[in-house]
Amino acid sequence: MKCIRVLAAGLGLVAMSLGVSYAQETVPIGELEAQTGPLATYGWINHQGVRLAVEQINKAGGFEVAGKRYRLQLFAPDTRGNPQEALIELKQLLEQDHVQYVFGPFLSNVYDGVEAYATQNNGKFLMMGGATSMHAQLGKPGKDYLIRTWNWDGGPTGFGSAMVSYLKRKGVKRVAMLMQNDAAGKVLVDTYAKIFREQGIQLQVEMFEPGTKDFTAVLAKLAEKKPDYLFPGYADAVLYDIIRQATDSHLFTRFFLVRGSLAPCIKNKAAINDCIVYTPKYFKQAEKTEPKVKAFVAAYRAFYKRDFPYDVAPLCSSACYDHVHMLVAAMQKAGTVSDVAKVKAALMSMHYHGVWDISFHDNEEVFGFDVVDMHKGGAISVIHLDPRKPH
Amino acid sequence: MSRNVLAQCALALAAVALPVFVKNDVVLTILVFSFLASILAVSFNLIFGITGQLSMFHAAAFGIGAYATYIAMHDLAVSFWTASALAAAFVVMVSLVIGAICFRFRLKAFYFAVVTLAFAEMARLVVVNWYSVTNGTLGINLSQRPVLAVLGRSITFESTLSWYYLALLALFATILVCGRCVDSWMGRCFAAIRLNDELGDALGINIFRYKLLAFGIGNMLAAFAGALYAYFLGSIQPAYLSVGQSLAIIAMVLLGGQRRVAAPVVGAIFLTLLPHIIDLSAEMRAVVHGAILIFAILLLPKGIVGTVETWVRRRAA
Amino acid sequence: MPQIVLGQLLNGAIVGTLYGILALGVTLTFSITGIVNFALGAFMMTGAYGTWYLTSVHGVPYGLAVPLATLGTAVIGLVADRALFRFTRNDLINGLLVSIGLIGVFDNVTLMIWTSTPHTIDVPVGGSVAVFGVYLPRMKLIVCAVLAAVVGATYFALRHTWAGRAAHSYAQAPEAAELMGVRTEFLQSSVFVYSTALAGLGGALYASLYSIDPTIGGPFVLKAIEGAILAGIGSVLGALIGGIILGVTESVGALFLPLSFGNAYGLVFLVLILLFRPNGLFAGRR
Repeated sequence: MKCIRVLAAGLGLVAMSLGVSYAQETVPIGELEAQTGPLATYGWINHQGVRLAVEQINKAGGFEVAGKRYRLQLFAPDTRGNPQEALIELKQLLEQDHVQYVFGPFLSNVYDGVEAYATQNNGKFLMMGGATSMHAQLGKPGKDYLIRTWNWDGGPTGFGSAMVSYLKRKGVKRVAMLMQNDAAGKVLVDTYAKIFREQGIQLQVEMFEPGTKDFTAVLAKLAEKKPDYLFPGYADAVLYDIIRQATDSHLFTRFFLVRGSLAPCIKNKAAINDCIVYTPKYFKQAEKTEPKVKAFVAAYRAFYKRDFPYDVAPLCSSACYDHVHMLVAAMQKAGTVSDVAKVKAALMSMHYHGVWDISFHDNEEVFGFDVVDMHKGGAISVIHLDPRKPH
Repeated sequence: MSRNVLAQCALALAAVALPVFVKNDVVLTILVFSFLASILAVSFNLIFGITGQLSMFHAAAFGIGAYATYIAMHDLAVSFWTASALAAAFVVMVSLVIGAICFRFRLKAFYFAVVTLAFAEMARLVVVNWYSVTNGTLGINLSQRPVLAVLGRSITFESTLSWYYLALLALFATILVCGRCVDSWMGRCFAAIRLNDELGDALGINIFRYKLLAFGIGNMLAAFAGALYAYFLGSIQPAYLSVGQSLAIIAMVLLGGQRRVAAPVVGAIFLTLLPHIIDLSAEMRAVVHGAILIFAILLLPKGIVGTVETWVRRRAA
Repeated sequence: MPQIVLGQLLNGAIVGTLYGILALGVTLTFSITGIVNFALGAFMMTGAYGTWYLTSVHGVPYGLAVPLATLGTAVIGLVADRALFRFTRNDLINGLLVSIGLIGVFDNVTLMIWTSTPHTIDVPVGGSVAVFGVYLPRMKLIVCAVLAAVVGATYFALRHTWAGRAAHSYAQAPEAAELMGVRTEFLQSSVFVYSTALAGLGGALYASLYSIDPTIGGPFVLKAIEGAILAGIGSVLGALIGGIILGVTESVGALFLPLSFGNAYGLVFLVLILLFRPNGLFAGRR
């Protein structure tokens, strides 16, 4: 993002003319996300959050580590979701821009493309991103640079089992899962098949080719065994069509979602009996009840001069606003901005209370989240779950 | 003709000498990718520009070459070179089957495009769903590197510089192979097929055999490119076989030029370089790709190289 | 079990009319202008977005938005014809490449303006009716009826109006038609624009049934081509029948076969048809 460099330079000039002592050093940080292209939603919101955090920190005069003052300089190239380009951009970040802290990537195929080069540079930088394909590499030898900044469905600190327990408490015996046949869908199927089995709920799975629009046939097929809930695909596009067609054909009235937003349910609320949605944060309510969230929303509005993107904001739980602040806090705790091993150690041992309540477990992020339950007629109840606490 | 040869030699020398002056890893990486894209473009041109058959299977050959190389290295524990040779042989076999089906039935050029598109999509669906072999949609991450044993020493292709020369060498080899084909009796048959295949048939040329030959050779080279690309990037993904990848290759050829063997290199380098020179959004870049397709067909049918050649010739006359 | 099959037969037939309207566009374009316009999927997407834009952003009632969006798509089709496709008459390869390039432009311009976030419109007619024990949404039935009517009207127009007969005769013997006073360039343009209008209409109706995003055109046009080839190109009713056959095969097939290979069956079909009836399938054309 070339305009970032211009903006940073501009701010510097302004600050200098205001007489602020800018004999500061800069800590360059990088962002490696897809900001344009069909899968740009994650990269877009991440960039919004990171940029806001960087501006806030710099505007407050930077931050102090071991007696010296620093400010952040953000380099944010657009990977366009292309692994080849991402590799070139990462090389640029590490070799030309001297970045040691990279936020992203969120997209698995991008991470797969840069993994070899990143591993070659193990020990020289930290990579903090939300990509699913990172999960399997965490903690492996030669992968000390890798930190996954999103929660994971499975495992002891996973949110998946908390979600399924919630379902179990409702007395559910049988669930039908309808997922995209792609990498993310496959991972979800593998993860949840295990969790459902562990909790004693019967699961039937069907996968569809991405791009499918008419699901009536496969829905009819799934409905034959009379499952209690439908567990549909992971993107809002597909969710709307599945839920609409499921309710139109009177096949399903109860839905269980671990990705996507509440919007598809709301649009079809007249025909729905229950819609359970996992969301990192239900901002509409949190804005009123949590002061840090309220401040974040206000800061966003003030800085970007547009309305707060409630529907995609939950994705800012990965390599976003909180994480920049966390990185700075880690540097302060470690007493260094360049010793990445120490910074990582500090990061891993922290429990950060920002917009989210974040800590790391085995190099992977864990945070408290919301379960939004929409009942018949559209009434919404929200409960807050934390995978670190027993459920 | 000799001016052409001189120009090509000069460019080749410049490419070989470049790393002496340019040490920037980022630039060298971009060039490696452009050389690999050039291999794809030149090999595709053998089928499309020279022989006149629009194949939508090229990306599939590229992708299958990558996957097959990995499978051979992984399951048979052979060297990269053996594995890629085996992969190329496999792709040739597949091409012969598909080509035989299409050309036996005397499919006209357009239907050939649609049928190869169908086969490419089917190949992609197989790759995406055959988890035990290809790891499906999750892709494969490669940890091994090609190792060459030469003169008692072994070179591991890990650094960008080593890959630069490997890719450049592969590109030279590709241009050489295609050039030899075009300059020979094979090339005259290819040209005859392109101009009017029924007439060629009437004149006694076995168009079935030569179409198959072009298709096989082109895909074989694409498979090698796939092996190299996969081991350079370190990752194989089903997107290698996508229609979009085939279209990108077509755009490179249309932009560079179809009549000369090495002309597509211009298009390949240009399109690989473009995103790093002009920071367009992903959508804008795809619009540019689409626009290139349209304008190259309608306004610049000879491509950059062809148009420049005509201009030079006109100046000289 | 039979009831679920019957339900999917009906559903498949309805979805098939969407394929059919696009297949009709493919057929007409091929018969009269000699190219297969892959970009018809992009025109369908344009009609869908146009409808969404009018209803959701400007509050135009759906019944009015549909003809407006169709008209708008036709205008874009006219521009495309005059600027681009006029130069690729009867040139299958160039026509293919230009239409593919156009798809890239259309899809990505739409992506730039409206992003990949899917959009939906408020369903104009809600609710479902029970047909033989299966619930079919009213909107789907309406869409099916409208599209079938349009195809039928096209069929009659081709048979019983001067313009239609001119088109017919051109398709059968171009030089003779020209000699008889048919203005070929005008005819070709009109048919091209008419097929983009059909695609736009299909898209406008599609928007009432499914969410829309810039990529909906691609898979649809491939299916439309399969449908058009399946039951015999050159035949107007054949295009509709081909589309319906494809829709039914898909829907009923999904009941018994894994959906993750869904597109492959159509592709295999396409290959077989093209291999065994490559020239003869395009009846009435050399």
